[in-house]
Amino acid sequence: MLDKEILIVDDEKDLRDMICSIFSHAGYTKLVTAASGEEALTLLSKKMPGIILLDVMMPGMDGFALLQEIRAVSSVPVLMLTAKGEAEDRFSGFELGADDYLVKPFLPKELLLRVRAILKRAYPQENSIVTLAASCVDLDRAEVVKGEQRLPLTAKEYAVFQRLAENPGRIVTIGVLCQALCGDIWQGYETTLMTHIRHLREKIEENPSKPVSLLTVKGLGYKLMVKEPEK
Amino acid sequence: MKTVKRFFRKYFLTMVGIILLFLLLNLLLYLSLLAWAWKTSGGPEISVHEVWASVTVDEGGGLTEAEGLEKELEENDSWAMILDDTGAVVWEERLPEELPRWYTPTDVAKFSRWYLRDYPVFVLEHPAGLLVVGTAKNSFVKYCATYKESYVRIMLAGLAVAVAVNLIAVVLLSWWNMGRVEKAVTPILKGIETVASGRPVSLPEKGELSEIGRQLNRAGAFIAKKDSARADWISGVSHDVRTPLSVILGFAGQLEEDRSLPASAREQAAQIRRQGEKLRSLISDLNLASRLEYAMQPLRLEQVYPVELARQAVCEFLDGGLEERYELEFYAGPKSEPATLQGDEPLLKRALCNLIQNSIAHNPQGCRIAVSVTGEEAGIIITVADDGVGVSAEKLAELSADSPCLESTDEKLNLRHGLGVLLVRQIVEAHKGTMAMESALGKGFKTTLTFPAYAVLNFQKQIKS
Repeated sequence: MLDKEILIVDDEKDLRDMICSIFSHAGYTKLVTAASGEEALTLLSKKMPGIILLDVMMPGMDGFALLQEIRAVSSVPVLMLTAKGEAEDRFSGFELGADDYLVKPFLPKELLLRVRAILKRAYPQENSIVTLAASCVDLDRAEVVKGEQRLPLTAKEYAVFQRLAENPGRIVTIGVLCQALCGDIWQGYETTLMTHIRHLREKIEENPSKPVSLLTVKGLGYKLMVKEPEK
Repeated sequence: MKTVKRFFRKYFLTMVGIILLFLLLNLLLYLSLLAWAWKTSGGPEISVHEVWASVTVDEGGGLTEAEGLEKELEENDSWAMILDDTGAVVWEERLPEELPRWYTPTDVAKFSRWYLRDYPVFVLEHPAGLLVVGTAKNSFVKYCATYKESYVRIMLAGLAVAVAVNLIAVVLLSWWNMGRVEKAVTPILKGIETVASGRPVSLPEKGELSEIGRQLNRAGAFIAKKDSARADWISGVSHDVRTPLSVILGFAGQLEEDRSLPASAREQAAQIRRQGEKLRSLISDLNLASRLEYAMQPLRLEQVYPVELARQAVCEFLDGGLEERYELEFYAGPKSEPATLQGDEPLLKRALCNLIQNSIAHNPQGCRIAVSVTGEEAGIIITVADDGVGVSAEKLAELSADSPCLESTDEKLNLRHGLGVLLVRQIVEAHKGTMAMESALGKGFKTTLTFPAYAVLNFQKQIKS
């Protein structure tokens, strides 16, 4: 994951430097920057990076125009950096196919989390084993490896687990999990969700009645504690 | 608009009053003119009754006249005679020579109605016969009218009807005219009201008062332009501040995490980061508040589940490294899960986060914060309550005061003062909800947001079926 090339497109040199510094501190090794949309296009014509961080407001070709150009040829993940933060930016960004957006000013932690999540989604095969306290979950094969046992996950359990594993250490709300389980209309599925959580715990926990990996956050949702979030 | 209606009603009544007064004045004027004319040119200067009284019949049947009668008749250029039943003149005074001394009943009938050889005459029955008093030729006009009774009745009734029809016509015409004026003026008054309330105004620029409409439209556009210029300016400034602030936050965040630095330096970096974050929320509040204030931020309505929305807001704080001294609790009312409302999700979440952030910011010593959502038939109620320091009654009144958020500066230009709360109020009101605050010193702070219930009911019905 850390060897993915990150292209940072922003007209402000200070901001580019700061972002580079964040990523190099976090261990990312391949960082490329471009000061304008045009420059980014020339770079892209030579080599497609692993992810693009794109500023919206730039003189000349702006972030949305560049995104359109990129989407015409590639589905490379794009994180929009918007200084405006207004809803209209966000919407047109998603319509054009941005993977996520981050409102400036942001904290280094927020940026790293977003990029990590996008990379994980875009390149899943590279992080398919989730290591927990009492077991490992192989997302590729949808099975739990607990000691000598190999326990397959049902489709629903897999959907819930995947959503939790995408946000290690963070609370995933009941609504989000129900949505992963049943699609858009998730109301009234809370009890179903609890059943799936119980089954998941039976498979991944040492002691399902005293969970240490899949924790309940009362009234809010669930949290998956992962041993090594990054490999 | 009530005052306008009242104004026109009053205007109409005044007009009717003026017309009635006008008619009354005319009647008075006519009557007094008649009275004056009567006075200045009354009956014959010498009255027939006077002559009648002056001539008496004595016991023997002879006639005697009072003294001075002849002189008086002379002064008035008049004459008098008395005819007996046979038509002979039995008494006379200054009777012109040309006139006969004997009259047939035909003569009598003729002169009593018209003239006696061009002399206007007046007749009266006298004990001695018929008294006839004549005056100089051309001194009186005699006109004898005889009409059928029905004709007179129709004439009088016609007069009354004509007056009534005239009055009604005048009243109706003034009513119609007033309606026209009202129709022309009302949009303008409404326009003024709209401009006064700061909303955009657009009046039709036609008709006789088109000029006023055009001017009002210009005034409205001018105000809107100023407002949008202000909002644009705020948004421009906040945009320009964001990049430097990103750099500050970015480097401060990195220094804070850098384990090779001494603890004190890392704590200083954390301080820079925290202050930077405060600045960040201030800027975004200011920007959003100004956009909402000038209605430049249209609501993007979608189906929002308040329970889930509140969960996500709470989780943002819990995952975002809420410090140990704060306790954040969440409670959802039974059966509230399916409650929905039509709303702008990011804005509502922002409002909720602002309230939680307020409790954190005003209680640096730590506190318990409880967020609860209940969806009932009465509506969706979201409360954020803490058990912290609270505020005094005066301060609470100040926060609750409904002042436009961008005019909330005091003499020290202390804009920050309650901006977060005012922004929440704006967001809630944009969703047709209400906001109530309760607090007392040392008793914590509680904010209650209430949203209309229609959406809740709909969804619960759907679930049941």
